[in-house]
Amino acid sequence: MTRISLFRFFVFAALVLILPARTVVCEETKTPSFSLAWSEYPSWSTFGVADEVKLIDGEKGKMGPIEKKWNVDIVLKEADYDSCLVMYGASQCDAVCITNMDVLNPCLSRPSMAILPTSTSHGADACLVTEDITDVKQLKMMKVYGLAKTVSEYCFVRNLEILGEKEKDYRFTNMDPSAAALAMQQKKDGFDAIVVWNPYVLETLTKRKDVKVLFDSTSIPGEIIDMVAMSKASLDMPGGQAFACAIIDTFYALVRRMDDPKTADDTLVALGEKFSNLSLASMKEVVKQTQFYKQPDQGITVLTSQNTQDTMKKVVSFCVAHDIVSQPPTLSYGNAEPQKPVMLSFNPMFIEKVKNTP
Amino acid sequence: MIRRAIDKKKSLMIGVLSILVLMGFYSLVSHWQHQKNPDDSTIPTWTQLGQGVQKIIEVNPRSDERWIVVDSKATMSRLFLGLFFGVAGAVVIGLLMGCFTPFEAFLAPPMSLLAKVPPTAALAVFFVLAGTDTRMYVAMISFGVLPTLAQSIYLAVKEVPDETLYKAYTLGASQTELIWNIILRHIMPKMLDAVRLQIGPAMVYLIAAEMVVGDVGFGYRIRLQSRLLNMNVVYPYLAVLAAFGFFMDVLLRRTQHIFFRWYTHGKR
Amino acid sequence: MAKDKHQAFKEDIVLECRNLNHWFGPKRVLFNINLKIIRGEIVSLVGPSGCGKSTLLRAIVGTHPPCEGDVMIKPRDSDTARVVTRPGRDRGIVYQQYTLFPFLTARENVAVGLMLDQTSLPFRLFRFQSWRTMKKKHLDEADALLNTLKLGESVNQYPHEMSGGMRQRVAIAQALIMKPSVLLLDEPFGALDEATREELQKMLLTLYGENTRARNEDRTPPYTILIVTHELNEAIYVGDRVVALSQHWDHKDLGLSGHPGATVVYDCMSPVFRPSEAPDFELFRKQREMLRAVAFEARHITDPNEHVQFWQEYDAREGWAGNL
Repeated sequence: MTRISLFRFFVFAALVLILPARTVVCEETKTPSFSLAWSEYPSWSTFGVADEVKLIDGEKGKMGPIEKKWNVDIVLKEADYDSCLVMYGASQCDAVCITNMDVLNPCLSRPSMAILPTSTSHGADACLVTEDITDVKQLKMMKVYGLAKTVSEYCFVRNLEILGEKEKDYRFTNMDPSAAALAMQQKKDGFDAIVVWNPYVLETLTKRKDVKVLFDSTSIPGEIIDMVAMSKASLDMPGGQAFACAIIDTFYALVRRMDDPKTADDTLVALGEKFSNLSLASMKEVVKQTQFYKQPDQGITVLTSQNTQDTMKKVVSFCVAHDIVSQPPTLSYGNAEPQKPVMLSFNPMFIEKVKNTP
Repeated sequence: MIRRAIDKKKSLMIGVLSILVLMGFYSLVSHWQHQKNPDDSTIPTWTQLGQGVQKIIEVNPRSDERWIVVDSKATMSRLFLGLFFGVAGAVVIGLLMGCFTPFEAFLAPPMSLLAKVPPTAALAVFFVLAGTDTRMYVAMISFGVLPTLAQSIYLAVKEVPDETLYKAYTLGASQTELIWNIILRHIMPKMLDAVRLQIGPAMVYLIAAEMVVGDVGFGYRIRLQSRLLNMNVVYPYLAVLAAFGFFMDVLLRRTQHIFFRWYTHGKR
Repeated sequence: MAKDKHQAFKEDIVLECRNLNHWFGPKRVLFNINLKIIRGEIVSLVGPSGCGKSTLLRAIVGTHPPCEGDVMIKPRDSDTARVVTRPGRDRGIVYQQYTLFPFLTARENVAVGLMLDQTSLPFRLFRFQSWRTMKKKHLDEADALLNTLKLGESVNQYPHEMSGGMRQRVAIAQALIMKPSVLLLDEPFGALDEATREELQKMLLTLYGENTRARNEDRTPPYTILIVTHELNEAIYVGDRVVALSQHWDHKDLGLSGHPGATVVYDCMSPVFRPSEAPDFELFRKQREMLRAVAFEARHITDPNEHVQFWQEYDAREGWAGNL
């Protein structure tokens, strides 16, 4: 899911690809060091904020309290979402903040484990239309703009399915969400329906009173999952598992700050700072639409439930049908790793470990 | 010895060698990456690249079209339309500025300011001015290349010696004839140089815009396929872009050489 | 030649500067210039650097009209002179550089004047066939002229392919094909080496010879030339009349606050030679000494009109000076 679009992407990608890669072990301390690539998004900015409030130190060779606790050095690499995908695919980071849909592609070449679900889209992806459109059938007449082959298109197609419509009757047209939202806010002709994500949903709704939500991701609860995925090769390295635990520990530590009345607002503002210029009130709305999996138990459920398995079947078939993946990846769920290695496992073992470690 | 001449064959061989070294270096990087991860698709092997190229040129079963064909059509028509309007506008503005001082006073400041603005950063403005379809790309390229090009043309006009102009007057030239028969012909080769140098920026503006707005074209395909980690599709596209740029460069140089012999030879 | 005929020539003034004054801001450059040029004369204009030779020439070309006074030109096809306000086809000009259009070959350079003069842009754009026929005629005419100037071999060369001397010769042809009332040469040979320079000077003398022949045959002399040069020998050699401008003259009697600028301090006939003839160095020397003393030395002469004797000399002379 391209949360923030930037053209720097290519320059960045080129740099990433050219610089020879390796997971570096700190020379002096001999503490293993692993990296996490993340982009600004409510439940992923937690890592950035954790760095700001010194729970961890994202610089290489420097350690915060959580890193010391697990004896592993977390290196944070912030980039826009597209770059994170390329970075992960090119083995330039050990773990990445990614959605359950986008992870299917890199895991084909880099077997991965979903170690931590962070949030789910509950209205954060929406189809926005002008007032005069009351029925989804009216969309047949027009182009619907959104970023193709992403959760936007998935959200659109799934909703059509639910409404009993055929996908081929509709014209989903590629456009960057920032551009589509801009065009709609400018009331350009032909921009009567767009599918975008936050912050563009909230922004557009605030700036154009005659625009409303036709449908959104609340109708497909739990299907769009934001999470942290980690390379299995990195997990197998010394300290890899400690890194996974440290990441999970950091996330829940920050979530506790969000719930603590003393630090809640401040944390919320910090989370939203770079995400968008929305107010505190709007940020509260954002967090509602991006439901955090705040409790370890919720996370464990997501990684093991039948519900998730059904969801992933839908997502995989969507990705295969839309040429997003060349072949369906093999998947597994629960904390027992199957005998035959799979490309993507949803494994709650590290959440459990963190939960059971005081 | 510095600047010692070498023969043509040798220099060609060295040129080919440099390309080979580049390719060799790529193979090496790709090899490293695949040693680390045999399934890597970010630095594809030559075989993977071959598959990518095949994907690009064969008929796509879903859309029933060849990617390279639809993308080239879209991107090239946008590029050439944009360049056409940009160049036409720049010629008019550059000539007005170079020939008439009130225009020079009026247009020189905004032109030098606008020449520093990357049009891709002002996407919203182009939306308002030209919508989101082909017109927007054309407008973006035109406005992107126009100020710099107009400035080059303006300077070229200024460089036409006074004597040449006076001379034309004494031969009975009217104002229009002076512009059409003397100034325009005088600046033509320099204009070609300026246009040649603007093709690069024009492509950058276009690709960047297509990445954001397009649903067909090089920029669209490159962004989409990079997100899907299909670098074996992305790199051939980049190679096509490079080849196109190179071809345009050679073409314009040849044109200049053939039609403006007086300029290319006279410069030596 | 008969005396009355000689007198009659005097009436045919092609170019006249009347009370011409010019200044740049507070700096006075030209003061009260009065100069009449008879049709068929080859006049050399000399003067120390910074005396305003170029300013005067620009006023005559019409690119920079004078602040005060008029330049009058008599077009070829008319008997009445008119005031010069802008450059026009009745005054041809050859500069030291940039005279030829670099994008045209020699013959095109020569023919371009005919094109600009005889056709209009719409004609050339919309009546393509007629224009093609006409263009061929123009090019033939240009070739013919270039042949007479011994440039037949280079008609298809671009200026950058020619030597400096060839370029200037083509430039002269380019101007002459227009049959201008007066041909203005602004330091035309300044950038050339000595041998080429002499060759071109001889070419000008050929033109002079044609003037004389025309007069003897009762035709209008075809070439009137004003040549600006800093070379005294050249001035005396190619001109049949030498005019000098100078700022070194005594203006106290005028009661002006500052220096009023350069004026004509010398205007006399000069000996003329056939191209084949060796110059009479004694005559040369005398005139050169005189010019140097009058115009170039910072010793202020009291009466600027003392050496302006052309018209008296003309009247005193029985026949034309160049009646060879």
